[in-house]
Amino acid sequence: MSAPVGSAPLPHRSVANIRSPPGAGHHHQSGSSTPLRPLPSSFGSPSSLRADEEIIIIEFGTRKLQVGFSGDPAPRGCVWFGPEQQRRAGDFRAWQTDYRQDWRAAAAGGLWGKDHELWQYDVRGSDLGLVGDKIERALREAFTKYLLIDSRPRRMVWVVPSSLPIPLLSAVLDSIFSRFQPPTISLLSSPLALAVGAGVRSALVVDLGWLETVVTSVYEYREIVTKRSIRGGRTLVEQTHKLLAKHLPQGQSEPSHSQDHVVSFEECSDITARMVWCKPRTASDTSRISNDGLATVQEQDEGESQAHTEHRRDGSVRIPLRSWLAPTTLELPFEALAEPCEDAFFDSQYSPASFDDHELPLHLLVYRTLLQLPVDVRAFCMSRIIFTGGCSNVLGLRGRIFDEVSHLVRERGWDPVQGKAVEQLRTNPKSRRRVPRQVASQGDESGSEEEDGIWHDAANTIPKVDTIDEQLRRGADEIPPVQGEMRAIESLGAWSGASLVTHLKASAVATIDRELWLQHGAAGASRAIDVDYRTQRQSLGAGGLIRGSVGHHTNWTLGIWGAL
Amino acid sequence: MAVLTPYTFIQCPCSDSSTLGRPSDPNSSTITEADEDERTFDPRAPRSNFSLYPLEYLLYCEDCHQIRCPRCVSEEIVTYYCPNCLFEVPSSNLKSEGNRCTRSCFQCPICIGPLAVTSIETRPDPSLLAAPDNTAAPHSGPYALTCSYCNWSSTEIGIQFEKPNSIHAQLAKLRNGGSTRLTAKERKERRKDPAYRRYQATSSGEGESDQTENLDLETQFANLKAFYQNQLADPNSADTGLAALGDLGFSSPTSLSRIMSIYTGGSLQDRKAKSRLGAMREALKPDEGLQFAHLDESAAIETLRGEGHDGTASITQLVDQPPNLGEEHLHGRSRFISELRPIPYLLRTKRSKRCPVCRHIISKPEAKVQTTRFRIRLVAGSYIPSIAIRPLSLSATAGGGGSSASGATLPGALLEPLKPAHFLLTFKNPIFETIKVTLGAPAETPGRFASKVTVLCPVFEVDANTDVWDEALREGGATGGAGSGGGGEKGERRRGRYDEGSQANNGNQLEVGKIWERGRNWVSIVVEVVPASLRLDQGDAPLREDEDVLEIPLFVHVEWEGEAGGDDVLESVAAKDKGGEAREKRELAYWCVLGLGRIRK
Ligand SMILES: [Zn+2]
Ligand SMILES: [Zn+2]
Ligand SMILES: [Zn+2]
Ligand SMILES: [Zn+2]
Repeated sequence: MSAPVGSAPLPHRSVANIRSPPGAGHHHQSGSSTPLRPLPSSFGSPSSLRADEEIIIIEFGTRKLQVGFSGDPAPRGCVWFGPEQQRRAGDFRAWQTDYRQDWRAAAAGGLWGKDHELWQYDVRGSDLGLVGDKIERALREAFTKYLLIDSRPRRMVWVVPSSLPIPLLSAVLDSIFSRFQPPTISLLSSPLALAVGAGVRSALVVDLGWLETVVTSVYEYREIVTKRSIRGGRTLVEQTHKLLAKHLPQGQSEPSHSQDHVVSFEECSDITARMVWCKPRTASDTSRISNDGLATVQEQDEGESQAHTEHRRDGSVRIPLRSWLAPTTLELPFEALAEPCEDAFFDSQYSPASFDDHELPLHLLVYRTLLQLPVDVRAFCMSRIIFTGGCSNVLGLRGRIFDEVSHLVRERGWDPVQGKAVEQLRTNPKSRRRVPRQVASQGDESGSEEEDGIWHDAANTIPKVDTIDEQLRRGADEIPPVQGEMRAIESLGAWSGASLVTHLKASAVATIDRELWLQHGAAGASRAIDVDYRTQRQSLGAGGLIRGSVGHHTNWTLGIWGAL
Repeated sequence: MAVLTPYTFIQCPCSDSSTLGRPSDPNSSTITEADEDERTFDPRAPRSNFSLYPLEYLLYCEDCHQIRCPRCVSEEIVTYYCPNCLFEVPSSNLKSEGNRCTRSCFQCPICIGPLAVTSIETRPDPSLLAAPDNTAAPHSGPYALTCSYCNWSSTEIGIQFEKPNSIHAQLAKLRNGGSTRLTAKERKERRKDPAYRRYQATSSGEGESDQTENLDLETQFANLKAFYQNQLADPNSADTGLAALGDLGFSSPTSLSRIMSIYTGGSLQDRKAKSRLGAMREALKPDEGLQFAHLDESAAIETLRGEGHDGTASITQLVDQPPNLGEEHLHGRSRFISELRPIPYLLRTKRSKRCPVCRHIISKPEAKVQTTRFRIRLVAGSYIPSIAIRPLSLSATAGGGGSSASGATLPGALLEPLKPAHFLLTFKNPIFETIKVTLGAPAETPGRFASKVTVLCPVFEVDANTDVWDEALREGGATGGAGSGGGGEKGERRRGRYDEGSQANNGNQLEVGKIWERGRNWVSIVVEVVPASLRLDQGDAPLREDEDVLEIPLFVHVEWEGEAGGDDVLESVAAKDKGGEAREKRELAYWCVLGLGRIRK
């Protein structure tokens, strides 16, 4: 990389100079002889840190918390949220051999499995203080059991889902700042951390999460477009429950009127994790999606292999059930265990037009996210697909989504006319802004942020692809970056990506100072709650807890938190 | 239904919701204490579970005169040790070696029982052991880790060891199935090896022969790290690279306004950042940490079909597994029991605890791993009154005013809905001063099922926990008790006038404002409850776990006069006692929860 000094990179730098504010870019011209300029970093200059200061990296999810030290390849511990954590100290019933929690009582009133979740994204009516308490206890456990650290304040880096609503983030910040006293907390969005953990600058992150599936396109370390569907791990476990209930003996499995579940959440999610799998894409499914006979022919080999496996063995699987009325062993065909996945993630029996935007089948979700991207961005993202999240452990699911999307691309190309976004555009003038566009001018961006909290703000507008930069960069590379073909890559994970970012002393997306949070945070949070009640699904801007200026909290439109 | 023994939980004042979100300082907590009794604490609120502790879990700061719970102490680590081999681990090892024992201590991945190193060869032929000339035989390899509880053996995952010691190091080089891998250290050394570098140079010259090389997670991380460091160090990239991520956010760590302005940041900055980023490229090959995803999982699905439920690990078993850095991302394949790994024991710590306000040590364990003793341990039970609960049967003494049909008499018996029941609360004073106790309880318990509560005697004094000698000296023969004159034997309870008084006064009858019984350093009072009916109407949510337990919130306010001293003048009113010592009035207030019993459904 050091060879072409003076030739190719120089014009590049001069281009950069033109765009840089005066004074900011002069060092570019001096070439390789210039010593590294100390960069402002969220962690301060290295000299101000004690050599042994450990930065703690925490990845928050709805089901679990992963904790470790910056520079480590993997978290040192993972704490799952569950009912046992919500008991009083000294209540050891759960450890008694004869104790069996009455899961039916715990699940009553639509709460089946809810005590395994840290939060719900719809914060209406939820106890934010409880979220803070849960986090505090889980973190204490993680620190004591896995990190083995004392209670001296330590800097923290959090990896947070970009869809996390402000009131939740605020509650967690309140709890951690007051209970653990970290001097600063830096926030990183998980899609960005995943991209870093995969070695790429652009990616399409498909997060098959618990509460929802989120598809985020990252381009040059910036989140560009995010789309989500409520189809997630929870849906899958519900569908598995449906399957089990269907195969339980009639009559006895009839749920009582107040009871909508016949098997405990714990058992059902265990069975889901162990036994549920996903069928490969079949040609017959596609014929519904497409009216194109040719596509079926193209996919014939896949269809064949599917038929092959089906005929090889049609054994049934025996699944022990303990939480049902009486312990039993359920016998059901192995093929049946692929049904929950179909229903939860694909619903292939329905036509694509019948889905609301927030419940899109996953392959359509991915396809439409790509469709929304400018050509250049899309070319990069589609060649860097990263599957992550708990449901990426469902055997066959990643491949299925990938194949379905590939098929859609082959079949439809990138003609937006077939996309729903365009249909909406035609019928609904309000959604016009959702269509990706090139940024016309900078002035355009700042003025019109308020109207649509999700899509229409600076963070979500598509940056113009700088063709000169692009070309120059490519010229400098040994191998031209792969683009335009569908390709999935593997990321170490968001936690590990954050560990790299922190270890390399790169700044986090946002850094919040404890003192400032304790002064302003509460006010900001309460304001945030108001906003959130009204618009329900507004989420946090990139650590932008508050938008606008300090003490002037009038401008409350927020973009997707973490969108760079 | 399990029998319920009456219980008491105490809420640490630090968890008062009004102090949350603010730094914990003593001033703010005294302010809130004043308002405390105006709110009713709901023990059933989900948050209450996070702030309630049995008395034994609580410590006490003698200087701040405050309860300290696990949430409001600051901890320091005295020792790190392995709970299995009890070896101490120096703190420097933690950073480098991780948080688990690196000797030969492992837990069974199936049942988490301890695994033992056993020789594979000797097991099938125990007769060899007896032969005198074969003493070396049991110590010849290969070896396996085996569980004596569930009979799991590491041979089931294809792993066996050459040596019976340093299993951790051997295991790090073995993948499930038995194939070997390079550890991080070895890889680093390999990189330095000139022969290997020559090989690398030639192979990369050939092009993309290793484009599809599968890296284990540890290697991928190392490669990525090296790649980024290399990119950042590249003179061509100057100050670009990952550091420029900061430009996309905001770089000042202390400026909240910068945080707020992220979205108004405009594209000038972005443009600049992007052009800077331009000089750093992405990872292009496995050597740089790039890995393609293997999406074809049909082989794993076939395995699942063949192995069935028995071939998979439970969620609990998977949760106990430490991250397996010796493999690539397994995704769904991690579910198979053939992918489980022996679990190296997590190290543990011994911690001393300080009061976060005054920094005094309130608990300090012996440093030696083998002992569980403490050098210092200021348990709250030595400072605040304990509360014992006993159901009270009135049938024997019934007839007096206020008494009624007998309530639950047997411990654990169910409480009858809508029938008054009585409980005896015995407050025992652990300190050497007389305390004045003031109780507050809501007339009805909060929650869906409101039971009526009456504390018959909410204000009373409990005498000091003076020992027998002390009391004898102080009171001389004044009360004329037999015990005082003779000095008594050690352990003799001197109850003197209290016993006489309580017997004479009310003959153990229920009377509002009267103490039931009192002793040397204890007082019993009566609480009357009328349990609610648990009948559910149509459409009501069913009973939640423990919703049938009658729990009453009780606000306890304790006042006493202590020796002056310390710098804590705030809440103390200096006074002179008869001995001429400076006395200070002190107080402590907290909520507690009394679990009385289950109500009949
Ligand atoms: Zn406390
Ligand atoms: Zn050990
Ligand atoms: Zn075992
Ligand atoms: Zn103190």
